[in-house]
Amino acid sequence: MIETQHLSKLYSRGLYALRDLTINVAKGEFVFLTGPSGAGKSTLLRLLLLQERPSEGEIFVNGHNLATLSRSDIQEYRRGIGFIFQDFKLIPTRTVLENVSFVPEVLGVPAAQQKRRAFQVLKWVGLQHRMNALPQDLSGGEQQRVAIARALASEPVLLLADEPTGNLDPDLSLEIMNLLREVNAGGTTVLVATHDRELIRLVGRRTITLDGGHMVEVA
Amino acid sequence: MRAIDYALREGWASLWRSRGSSAFAILAIALAMIVMGTLLLVTWNVERLLAQWASAAEFSVYLRDDASSEQRGAIETAIDSSGVVEQREYVSKADAIGRFRREFAELASLTESFEDNPFPASLEIRIRPDAEQDGRAGALVQQVAGLPGVADVRYDREWIGRLAAGLSAIRGAGLLLAVVMALAAALTVASVVRLGMNARRQEIDIMQLVGSPIAFIRGPFIAEGVLQGGLGALTATAFLWLGLRLVSAWWGTELSALFDGGSIEFLPARLAAALVTGGMAVGGLGGFAASRHAI
Repeated sequence: MIETQHLSKLYSRGLYALRDLTINVAKGEFVFLTGPSGAGKSTLLRLLLLQERPSEGEIFVNGHNLATLSRSDIQEYRRGIGFIFQDFKLIPTRTVLENVSFVPEVLGVPAAQQKRRAFQVLKWVGLQHRMNALPQDLSGGEQQRVAIARALASEPVLLLADEPTGNLDPDLSLEIMNLLREVNAGGTTVLVATHDRELIRLVGRRTITLDGGHMVEVA
Repeated sequence: MRAIDYALREGWASLWRSRGSSAFAILAIALAMIVMGTLLLVTWNVERLLAQWASAAEFSVYLRDDASSEQRGAIETAIDSSGVVEQREYVSKADAIGRFRREFAELASLTESFEDNPFPASLEIRIRPDAEQDGRAGALVQQVAGLPGVADVRYDREWIGRLAAGLSAIRGAGLLLAVVMALAAALTVASVVRLGMNARRQEIDIMQLVGSPIAFIRGPFIAEGVLQGGLGALTATAFLWLGLRLVSAWWGTELSALFDGGSIEFLPARLAAALVTGGMAVGGLGGFAASRHAI
């Protein structure tokens, strides 16, 4: 599903965020990406989302060489990817249902299907009863569940999560991880960047450890 | 269709959210469209007046007293074969003096002291309106003036041509001014739309990340510009209509005399529609310029 070959990302100050990184993530796999702050975890996710371009090396996702994608191809490629951020990135002026149905809406899904799909995923994350609430009225855990619902609304084949439990307490963190495991059980490939070693131990999946932009361990 | 529907809904919502700043953009477009509309209104009515005058265009060919009937026949043949004549009438010397006596009754007694009739015979020719505009009438006048038996040709229509040329110059200058104002209005729209874009930055980022088609991302900003432009142009059209009513109320009599009993008229539907479409295009241009910063 994901393959990087000698991937490097050099920033203008001469600092490498990633250096000569070669990794493989199989289809349907659940993989943790860990390491200290500045290890290059978020940079790798940004490269996978094509928010940035690599300085060297290549990335293949689901058979696509990301270097060859045009602007409209990038948008099409992203439709197959769900994303979750530490700070949730929910739209504060829209209700929970609107935040989730926003994705099918801007992908051109017919109106009737937008709400139906949004309701389905909200029900799946257990928040159908809060669908008319605004994000500010939800707890951190609930907001992250809405973000997961939004990520699943486009039925992605790959889910990228950047420190999804960074703002949550341990119990809620495990709850979110259990949700992600269920997503993975449905066949979606999941790549989670986290520095929470305890959480990784509890979930117990393959882990790629980065440090200073290099891969230092695969366990 | 869904992209257009989405763009219009979001564009209108954004316009309403930032209605204070949108009002400036609408006003800027209204001002540009008032200049453009005034120009259209004036030139359209003056062209109508010119066409009215041109349709009544005539010229007179005065014959020499010693012109032979063959010469007169050759002149009439040249006129008839030109294809620009709507009507031709021969006015004999006797008809001419008779007409003078009727039209200037107070001077009629003067003519009794003439030993000879000083009024020349003439041919009075009414020409077709299109011949006036395309210059064929002028060519015929020149041709007839050079024929044997012709004493003089009176064709005082050059001033219509000069007026038409002057109108073209005014139209050109006005168009330039309107274009400059339209560009300024488009820049204002672009600035206002970009303000709204900053407020929606998070939504735009999410749209990009979920792979929303580019038309969905940029469409609402273009639609917002089009809506601002349309509202500005409608405002301008309403102002022009009111302005015309006021002008008619204040100077209706003078204008009626100028239009031979007619009156100055508002733009026909096709020109009013063109004005509104122009405003929408100017707004759309501003919205498009702003939308390029979205992605």
